[in-house]
Amino acid sequence: MSETPRDDERELVEQARRDPRQFGALYDRHFQQIYRFVYSRVREQTAAEDVTSEIFMKALKAMPRYQDTGRPFAAWLYQIAVNAIADRYRTMRPAQPLDDFHDLSVAGPALEDLAAHRDELRRIWGLVESLPHQQRTALVLKFQEDMKIEDIAVAMGKSPGAVKLLIHRGVTRLRDEADSLRPVE
Amino acid sequence: MNGRHDPELDDVLQDEELRRLAGLLTATRRAEPPLDDAFRSGLRRQLMQQAWEMGEGRPSLWRRIFAPPGLAWVGATAGLVLIAGIVVLNSMQQPGVFQQVVVQSPIDGGRAVALQQAILVNFNQPMDHSSTEAAVQITPATNVTYSWSSNTLAVQPTSGILAPNTQYQVTIGSGAKTAAGQPLTTAQTITFVTQPPAPPTPSPSPTPRAPATPSSLLTGEHQLAPLGGNLAVSSVQWSADSSTVYFVDSKGALDAVPAKGGGVSVVAPDGVSSPAIAPAGDRLAYIRGGKIEVLTFATGTTADLAVAPVPTLVGWANDKLVWAAADGVYTQAGGGPQRLAPTPTTGAVRTLSLAPDGTHAIYTQDQNLLLLDLASAKSTQLGQANATFFGWSPDGSQVMYSGPGGNIAISDVKGNSVGTVPAGDAGWSSQNAILLGSETDLYQAHPDGSNLTKLASGTYRLPMWAPNATAFTFFRGGVLWTATAPALPPLPSVLDQAAAVVNSFMQARQKGQADQAGALLDSSGKLAYASGGLNLLINGDPSFSRFYVLTQEVTGTQPDTTTFVVRLVLTHGKLDVADYEETLTVVRDPATGLFLIDQATAGAHRDLGKGAEVVGVVVAADSIQVTFDSDLDPGTVAEAVQVLDSKGTPLDATITYSTRMVTISGLNLKPGAQYKLVVLTTLRDFLGHNIAAEYDLQLLGPVAKSSADHKNGGVTVSPAPASPSPSPAPSPAASPTASPS
Repeated sequence: MSETPRDDERELVEQARRDPRQFGALYDRHFQQIYRFVYSRVREQTAAEDVTSEIFMKALKAMPRYQDTGRPFAAWLYQIAVNAIADRYRTMRPAQPLDDFHDLSVAGPALEDLAAHRDELRRIWGLVESLPHQQRTALVLKFQEDMKIEDIAVAMGKSPGAVKLLIHRGVTRLRDEADSLRPVE
Repeated sequence: MNGRHDPELDDVLQDEELRRLAGLLTATRRAEPPLDDAFRSGLRRQLMQQAWEMGEGRPSLWRRIFAPPGLAWVGATAGLVLIAGIVVLNSMQQPGVFQQVVVQSPIDGGRAVALQQAILVNFNQPMDHSSTEAAVQITPATNVTYSWSSNTLAVQPTSGILAPNTQYQVTIGSGAKTAAGQPLTTAQTITFVTQPPAPPTPSPSPTPRAPATPSSLLTGEHQLAPLGGNLAVSSVQWSADSSTVYFVDSKGALDAVPAKGGGVSVVAPDGVSSPAIAPAGDRLAYIRGGKIEVLTFATGTTADLAVAPVPTLVGWANDKLVWAAADGVYTQAGGGPQRLAPTPTTGAVRTLSLAPDGTHAIYTQDQNLLLLDLASAKSTQLGQANATFFGWSPDGSQVMYSGPGGNIAISDVKGNSVGTVPAGDAGWSSQNAILLGSETDLYQAHPDGSNLTKLASGTYRLPMWAPNATAFTFFRGGVLWTATAPALPPLPSVLDQAAAVVNSFMQARQKGQADQAGALLDSSGKLAYASGGLNLLINGDPSFSRFYVLTQEVTGTQPDTTTFVVRLVLTHGKLDVADYEETLTVVRDPATGLFLIDQATAGAHRDLGKGAEVVGVVVAADSIQVTFDSDLDPGTVAEAVQVLDSKGTPLDATITYSTRMVTISGLNLKPGAQYKLVVLTTLRDFLGHNIAAEYDLQLLGPVAKSSADHKNGGVTVSPAPASPSPSPAPSPAASPTASPS
C-alpha cells in the first residue's frame, strides 16, 4: 500500500467527515489502488467497475460515521472492498487467466534467468487463487497490495495475530502445493 | 533471488522456503489493469452529486426517523438486524435463482439525441416502480416525471424537452429493486449527448421534385390576354399591389388586366413602348409617339414630356424619371433634361435596360455588353463578347447575363461575380427567387444557384414576378399567362454563411486536418493560431470530442462581420469532463465574398458537472435568451443573471424564467457596443446546487437585423437543371447551429 503523509490524509478525512462534498480528494487519492485491487480479484472490467462504484458509494455514505483508529484511511476502504468482493463473488471465481493481471516479471534487480522464474511465479500465483478465501485475501493484501499486517487486520476485521496465522498457513500451503506440482527432474 | 525483505514476516515465516516463496510473491510486479477513464470521472461525478445531497442538509429518512439519540440506537440495531437478515438471505440463495438486473437504453451512447426524446430505460425484468424511480439520478439537474410501460421506464423532463448540446448521465442507483425485491447490485449509468436546439420557427421546406415528375407545383395558372407576337419582358408591368398587369399588346396599345383575370381595359390606344411603374406605384410612365407620357393613377391624368433626342427607354430613380436616348441616359432636373451619363459615340450602341433603381443602365456596343454607372459615367463590360442581358435584381444592385457554359452569370454592379444559375428566361423576385423559364419547363432557384427546384413542365417564357413575389406572368403561345409559385426557402443569411465556415473550421480541427482548418483563416486569423497563440489542433487527453456554437451574432456590415462563441468540449473516455470557449470573429473577404476567420481568442477551461451550465445564448437588440442545461431554482434567477454595460453597470431589464431558459428583456443594446452576460454563483438548480464559479460571456450589441440578414453571398455554384439537388434546411439566424460529432 502506498504511503501518504498521514497528517495530510487525516486532514482530508476529517474534512470529508464533516462535509461529504470534500470526499472527492480522498476518491482521487485512493481510486487507483482500490480499482486495481478489485480488478485483481474479479478480473473483468465491467465487474471491477461495478464493485469499485459500490465501494466508494458505501464509503461516501458512511463517511460521517468514520472513526480514525490510527490506521490509514485506505485500510478502511480495503475493508469495504474485501466485503463487497466477498458478497458479490461468494459463489464465483474469476475465470480470466492470471497472466492478464500479474506481470510475471520481477521487480528490483534484474534476474539472470528470468524465464526460469516465470513458470514458477505463474504457478505460485495460480496456487494463491486456489487457497481458501481468507488465506487468499490475506496473501493478496500482504504480497500484492503490500499492506502492513495491522492494516490487513482492519481490512479483514480480524486481529493481527489471526492475519499472521492466515499468512503462515497460506504460504505453507503454497509450498506444499508447489512441491507436489513440481515436475520430477 | 528473493524479493524485498519484509521484517513483518520474520516471525511469521521462519522456514527458509516459506520466505523464498514470500519473496517471490512480494517481488511480482502488478500490471496496470484496463481502466476506462470515463468510468473514473463518471463515478466521481456520481459521488459528488451524492455528496451534494448529503451535504446540503437533506437528512436521510432513517436519520429523520431516529433523530433523538436514544431512538437512533434503536434504529441502528433494527438496521443491523435487517442487514444481517439480508446477508443471511443472500447467502442462502443458490446461484442462478436471481437473474442479475440488466439496464439498457436505446439512447445510451447517443451523440445527437433529439430534445423531445424521453429517456427510455429498459430493464430485463419487472422492477419495483417506486424504489427504481427514487434511485434515478440525472446530471445535469433535471426535473422529471416517470411513466412505465412493461419493464421500460420513460423518464421525461417536466419541461417536455431535454437541454440542447448537453451530455446527460442518468444513473439507476443501487437502491432500485426488482419487483421480487432484489436490489440492483451496482449503480448503472446511461450517457448520451443531445442535439443542438431546434430552429425557433419552422422554415418552409423546400420541395424539390425530380424532373420526371409531371405534376406542377404552380397554382392558379390562367390566361390573362392574347398578345400576338409581342414577346418582350419589357412590355409587361405589374402594379405595386400586384393586382393589375399592364402590358403592351401586338398593336402597340397599353392595356391593363386584373391579375385574377377579367376584362382588358385600354390605357393608351397605340404606339406604346417601355411601360414603367414608379417605385411608389402611383404613376406609370411609357414612351408614345417619341414622347414620354406619365399617367397618374390617382387623378387619371396624363402628362407629356417632350425630350430630345427621342427617348428609347424610360424608368424611374425613386420618384424621378430617367430615360435613355441615343447618346446617353437622362433625368429631369430643374432646368429641364439633364444627361446623367453619355453612351459611347463609337460603334453600334443600343441601350437595353435601365436598372429598377435608376442608377445603372445596360447597353451594347457592337458585340459587347456593358454596364453603365450613371453616377460616374463609367462602363464595365459584362461577360464575354456577344453576352446576353437577362435582367436585374429587384433592387437593381445585381445583374444577370449569359455566362460561361450557357449558364446565367450574376454579378453586382461593380462586376464582381455573385453566383450562377442555369440557363433560361430569368425573372428575379423581391424574395430572391429566380424563375428560369423555357419552352419545356420552369425552374426556380436562389441567386447563388441553391434550392434549384423544378416547378412545372411546359412552356414558361419570360417569367416576370409580381411585387408580392408569389404571382408571376409568363408567355405561352402568344398569350400572356399568370400563375402562383411556391416560396423558396429563404436565402442563407449572413450568419448562416459564416456559421458554415465556423463549422468547417471546427470539423477540420476535430479531424486533425490543420491544412483545411488553416485555409479558413485570414492572415490575422493565422497569427491567432500561430505558435504561442491558440492551439489549432487540440491533442492529448482529455480529447476534443465535440463542439457547438454557444452564440452567434452579426456585429458589422462593412464588411459583413460576425462573432461566434464556440464551445469546445473535452472528453475523457466517454465522459465530457471540461470545456472552454473560443470567440471567433468571422469576416467576409470583400475580394472573394467568402467568410474567413479573422480573430480568435480562447477562454479558460472549466470543469463540467459543477452546477448549471449555460448551453446557448441568443442575442437581439431588445432581449437576450440564455439556455441552461439544468432546471433552475426560479427564485435565484433574477438576482443571478445580469447584463452589464462596458462600465460594468447592470442594465435595467425584465428577467423571466421558463423551461431552462432565462429571458432578459426590455434591453436596448447598441450595435457594436460591448456588454457582458454574467451568471453569478448565487444561481441554483432546482436541487439546490449553486454553480461552482461565476460565468461571464462578452457580447456585442447586434446590428439591425434588416441590414444583416439575407444578403447574398459570393458562393458560386452551378447545378445542372436536370438534377436539382435537395437543399439543406436553412439554419435559424442567431441561434446555435449544428455541431457534428
